Amino acid sequence: MAVGLGVLGVIFIVLAVLYALGVLQLFTSGPGNHYKHAILLVVLAVASFVAASFARPKTA
Amino acid sequence: MSLWQALFMGLLQGASELFPVSSLGHAVLVPSLLRWSFKQTDPSFVPFLVLLHLGTATALLVIYRHEWVAIIRGFFTAAVRGEMRTDSERLAMLLLVGTIPAATLGVFLENRIKSLFTSPYEAAAFLVVNGVLMLGFEQLRRRTERRAAVASESRDEQESHFAQAERISFRAAALVGACQALAFFPGISRSGITIGGGLIAGLRHQEAARFSFLLATPVILGAGVVEVPQLFANGVPVGEYLAAAVLSGVAAYASARFLLRYFRSGRLDPYGWYCVAAGLASLALLRFSL
Repeated sequence: MAVGLGVLGVIFIVLAVLYALGVLQLFTSGPGNHYKHAILLVVLAVASFVAASFARPKTA
Repeated sequence: MSLWQALFMGLLQGASELFPVSSLGHAVLVPSLLRWSFKQTDPSFVPFLVLLHLGTATALLVIYRHEWVAIIRGFFTAAVRGEMRTDSERLAMLLLVGTIPAATLGVFLENRIKSLFTSPYEAAAFLVVNGVLMLGFEQLRRRTERRAAVASESRDEQESHFAQAERISFRAAALVGACQALAFFPGISRSGITIGGGLIAGLRHQEAARFSFLLATPVILGAGVVEVPQLFANGVPVGEYLAAAVLSGVAAYASARFLLRYFRSGRLDPYGWYCVAAGLASLALLRFSL
């Protein structure tokens, strides 16, 4: 579970970079750099990493 | 837009952003009712709104500066530890969970919805809807109070039976956050809908307002910061807009202070009735061109 969430976080980071560079145009209003989308994906990445941290097995 | 119009709009936005009466609805309605000629579709209007929102967000940051320090510290501590142990850590995670649906819906839906509803008639109609929602939230709260057999107690005692923001469930935080998307409809209040959501989730009125303001800060700040480059476009009167933003911040600060005190024992009803009356009056004024 924790590993999956970590991987998801990495995917979000990659997508954020692609939106910021203007490579990815999915769900956007048109061509260009989409910083709002990038920031959202960074937030989702952070949430995924936090969830991964919560899901990892704890040592006593 | 003249300097005085800019200052008036700053004051209006700052005051109405945190009151549960819809700043967007007022920003659409008031210039139409006053027959001001500036167009909100003008390219320089977006930077203007950006600065006003940054003014509001700054006011919220000032009010909750100590709390934000604790929240940010709690966020990193809990994230690294993988466990929440304090109220600040739980609140930090609740705000993260509440911000995600609002930010997601904002990025994908905000401009589409706002471009669909630009007419003052629609803003007036949604203002009536907002009022009905506020009154509905209070009816639901009164029903909960009757079930808990606290209806005969004083308001302060009634409120003491409900929870602090830190005790809201994560599902409720996500739902309250998602409800913020309704505020893309001009006339529906972001603070009203989140305070109402907080009440349904079992928070005290004052705590629902606090959670609403904390939840709004990253969204308002984030949306504003992203648009900052537009301020440096040619033809943007930055000085006038900055003056309006300062006024917006001062009004927002005073509004937040007032509301946090008001909601110690006050309810949403007066704002609900105001929205219904203002919406209906605006519809009449617009319809009959009075």
